[in-house]
Order: sequence, then C-alpha cells, then structure tokens
Amino acid sequence: MPFYRCLIPKGSLSYDQRERVAVAFTDVHCGNSTAPRSFVQVAFLNTDGSGEVRDSHGQGVMRYSTPFFIAGGNRAGRGEAVKGRIHDGLIERFCEIAEVPRDQVSCQISEAPASWTMEAGRILPEPGEEAEWVGHGASGG
Amino acid sequence: MFVQEGCVPEDLRPGIAAAVEGICLDVLGAGDVSIEWTVVARGYGFRGGKPSTTSLVRGRIPDGCDRGTRARFLMGIADAWRRITGAAEDEVIVSGRDWSWAG
Repeated sequence: MPFYRCLIPKGSLSYDQRERVAVAFTDVHCGNSTAPRSFVQVAFLNTDGSGEVRDSHGQGVMRYSTPFFIAGGNRAGRGEAVKGRIHDGLIERFCEIAEVPRDQVSCQISEAPASWTMEAGRILPEPGEEAEWVGHGASGG
Repeated sequence: MFVQEGCVPEDLRPGIAAAVEGICLDVLGAGDVSIEWTVVARGYGFRGGKPSTTSLVRGRIPDGCDRGTRARFLMGIADAWRRITGAAEDEVIVSGRDWSWAG
C-alpha cells in the first residue's frame, strides 16, 4: 500500500510520462504522509471502454466517466484533510505531466485497515507508525 | 493477482493458484476460490517511482477473521508465493479484505 492504478487510453502516455507520474504520485503520497517511498505502487493499465474497473480486491466495481481514472487503495486512518491533499495532488500532478485538462481525470481511493496487508513478511503499520516498522526490517525494492 | 510482466512465468501460475486454494481451505475453511491474473506490462509498473518487480496478491476473505487467523493466511500466501516463484520477501504484498468491506 498504497496501490494506485492509472486507467489510461492505450498509447496515451509515453514511458517518460508514466515514470514521471509514478515519481510524482510517490512525492504526493509521501509528502502528505509518513509512508516510506517504497510503499507506493503505481500501475498503468489500459482502459477497456466500459467506464468501470473492478476493485483491486476483486469485489465490486469503481465507475468513472473520464478518459483517465486513478483507482487508489490506501491504508485507513488518515484525517480528511490529508486524504484530500493526496487525492487532489494526484490529479493535479497527473494532469500536469500527462498534459490533459482537469475534467479529463477522476480519482477514487478506497481504504482498508493496515493490519489487513502483509509486506516483506510483516503486517503493515498504521499510518504514522512507519518509522518503527521500517527500523525493524528492510523495506522495499 | 497483479504481477509485473516477466516476473511470474505463466507455467508457475497453476501451482500458485493451487497453493492459494489450499491455504484458503486450511486457514479460512473457504473452498470456493476465484483467481484472476492481471499482468502489468513492462514499463507500466512502478514502486517508489522506479520500475517494479513486486507482485500484489489482493483478495476478499470471509468476514470476522481474528488478527491471528488473518496473519496466518497472509503469511501462508506470501511464503507459498516466494517458494514457488523465487521472489524475494519484499517482492510480494498480500492483502485480504473482509468480504463485506466497502471502504
């Protein structure tokens, strides 16, 4: 966690743009939280034209009506202001790098308890408790 | 299952699926398991802003698991994944949300 899926029209972003978006999403997420950078996963997937994408856990769908859609999955426990800054920051940076108008991008972020995810063989820490978690083992490549 | 292109050969996937089904049955008592694979194309998956080799196993499990049971489930999947694929410990992330969770 977090896991950000960017649903994009086929061929709409170059590798350079995808890489820059991934770095920008990492900057936005980690700049508004205490998550280590290695937590941030970004995947770009081609849209299929249906206007919906299955939840990454396989139950239910997220619906969207824009050409570009960011489907996020984060740990629960952050305040509304932080969540809002992450949400808005992702869209802002995506639009800037992809060179698309704001009304072409939407974003939805679902949340679940940290204790429902295991990474590097350990249950994830609650938001704000990452330093101790990282200090007790390697995090990420 | 979200896997990076080239990281989990197709011929390993049936074994992974069988292992996941076994763990679901042994730990959760759940025998009805549906598995889908999403391959993230090369150059389309990143971790910390860098190209990723990390796989994400994400699923729904029956509501009401206590912390210990959920941890055994997650660890069982992670261990099986590493044993079958040869992935490093930090190259697989496993999560199991409650079936009814709408977060």
